[in-house]
Amino acid sequence: MKIGIPRALLYHYYYTFWRTLFEELGCEVILSDETNSKIVSEGSKVTVSEICVPIKIFNGHVLNLEKKNVDYIFIPQFHKVKKEWYCPKFLGIPELVEYSIENLATPLIVLDYITKTDMIDSFAVHKPLLNILNVTSMQLKKALKSAREKQLKFRSICKNGYTVPEAYNFLFDGKPLPGKKKSEITIGLMGYVYNVYDNFVSMNTIKKLEDMGAGIITFDMLDEEEIKIDKKEIKQPFWTFSRKIYNASKQLINSGKIDGMIHITAFGCGPDSIIGKMMEIDCEEKNIPFMTVRVDEHSGDNHVNTRLEAFTDMIKMHKRKGGNQ
Amino acid sequence: MKISFPYMGQVQGYKKLLEFLGHEVIMPQKPTQHTFDIGVLHSPEFICYPFKVMLGTYIEACESGAEMIVSSGGSGPCRAGMYCEVHRRILKQMGYSTEILIFDSLKKHPIRFVKQVLRLKNKTPMIKLIKAFIYTFKLLPLLDNIDEIIKIKRAYEINSGDFDKAREKITEMFEATNKISELCGVYKKAIEIIDAVPIRLVDEKDRVKIGIVGEIYVAMEAATNMEIERRLNALGVEVYNVQNISGWLKHNIIPRKFNTSKSWKAFDEGSRYKRCACGGHDKENTGWLIEFAKNGYDGAVHLMPFGCLPELITRSIIPQMTSDLDMPILTMSIDEQNGEANTQTRLEAFIDLCKSKKKAKNEVYQEKKESHTVGV
Repeated sequence: MKIGIPRALLYHYYYTFWRTLFEELGCEVILSDETNSKIVSEGSKVTVSEICVPIKIFNGHVLNLEKKNVDYIFIPQFHKVKKEWYCPKFLGIPELVEYSIENLATPLIVLDYITKTDMIDSFAVHKPLLNILNVTSMQLKKALKSAREKQLKFRSICKNGYTVPEAYNFLFDGKPLPGKKKSEITIGLMGYVYNVYDNFVSMNTIKKLEDMGAGIITFDMLDEEEIKIDKKEIKQPFWTFSRKIYNASKQLINSGKIDGMIHITAFGCGPDSIIGKMMEIDCEEKNIPFMTVRVDEHSGDNHVNTRLEAFTDMIKMHKRKGGNQ
Repeated sequence: MKISFPYMGQVQGYKKLLEFLGHEVIMPQKPTQHTFDIGVLHSPEFICYPFKVMLGTYIEACESGAEMIVSSGGSGPCRAGMYCEVHRRILKQMGYSTEILIFDSLKKHPIRFVKQVLRLKNKTPMIKLIKAFIYTFKLLPLLDNIDEIIKIKRAYEINSGDFDKAREKITEMFEATNKISELCGVYKKAIEIIDAVPIRLVDEKDRVKIGIVGEIYVAMEAATNMEIERRLNALGVEVYNVQNISGWLKHNIIPRKFNTSKSWKAFDEGSRYKRCACGGHDKENTGWLIEFAKNGYDGAVHLMPFGCLPELITRSIIPQMTSDLDMPILTMSIDEQNGEANTQTRLEAFIDLCKSKKKAKNEVYQEKKESHTVGV
């Protein structure tokens, strides 16, 4: 059986888990193509124009999978981690797909992710798979266990300072992990995995920054313990990934590890409008340069290049002059 | 203490409550263009419109010398629950020392909630506090009921402005009350005043009814939605708005098991289109649209702030709903860029469509009836 996974949204975080799970259960995993302008424009055409870009791209990937003759398209519906939510659009993703794309021929597998931790290996969540894939609970439990192990391995690679694509390449294509380069400046690259690691959305920001001699730190390179819910605060962002990013930014600002911070966000992102402002104010208080890069389906490569160059140059100059960040 | 609050819905009620507790109330201004402008200036670009309007109101209140601002919170997944954190930081950055007191859910943070109530209590005796709460909880539904009636009757107003005058008079009457026992009498008098306003008589089958659903702030607060209810009334249609403060209180305060409010019924109804509630009032709104169609409404207007997270999901479903329910639905997303002419034109076109649809329906009904009589 062929299961299609859209290469969008939390694919960039849980792909290891899902691929291992479905393969253990005897399915073949088919990924949609990497985000390209055709996928984006097709997705934008069917989706409500006001909605954020990642959702439009998600629909584009679903349309792409339709052409690949898969038996099922896998749509994870993320609800909650303990008391924390996901963005409302994650909660409504099956509706956004079903009602936006007319005549969707391929059946969907929708799993409701309500979990206790960041690790999504709950049996109850995956129970619907028993009927759909015709497997026994024993098989499912075994598959969940190995998926969990693989996911932990993936996370440990990330925590060693590697980006998600590097980790995927290592785990699934057997490519060796690249050696670590020493860089002149370090930049905290804040943003959701589906913005930062999607090369279309982020326009290869990571590579561009590395070419400019800047090392990056993203929130997924930090340990969960470091960015867990801060009980001392009156109110933390109540979206799981937003909280992770916000706490990561606070952690990085206070640790003095970074020379500047870039926030990558997509047009119309709701949670980012909140945490973006909070991070901006925090950076201002500690005198750390902060820049927001907002992208949408019309963004061009050149303006991002110019802005990144200007930003890194400014930090480098400041550092060479001996300015203390 | 000098206290202020966001301008939303029946502000008269909140003012009364705070005055009972012995605070000086800095009455928030009804949002004007100035409010929008300063709010937008200091807000993040992509935050939703209510945040910007509220920030504008807060800044105005701070300038009038408010020491504390009281508002409600939330615990997600809608952005409104995080407003306070950002408001607080922005006001601090601007150099205001005004404190923001946020009331979150009693169930989730009971200790904090009680502590905050005690702070607001201001040495008022307990019995007076309870009385003040009961008074407010009685007053708010009465005011909402009056507005509900006005929104229906104003469609047939003969002398333009009569109902506004009557409403002002009613506000003054309620302003003068201080006891729970007085409320009922004043309400009766208010209804008499409304009934005395001359209106056109219209045949039952010609009444055009439009429902309003949407995000609570922009649907409830006329200043932010360009007085959409008044505009619709002026076009000769009755309006029923599902969002009001007493409905919100009833929905949230009474435990779900014993809660008979219509919005919970609508919530359940919404399951036809949605697997789960995605925050805000999205599922209720979906349910309300279905209810409207069932109750023979001629159309519905769906209001949301630009980029509203939960309502965008409803927005995606609406094309399907329009054809399923056979009822025209107009979605308007609202932000500081809205123009009056645009709103008016869209509404006029929409109401024309609803009216002609109704006329066609009536004719078909008439023909059927006639052919039936001939047949007999």
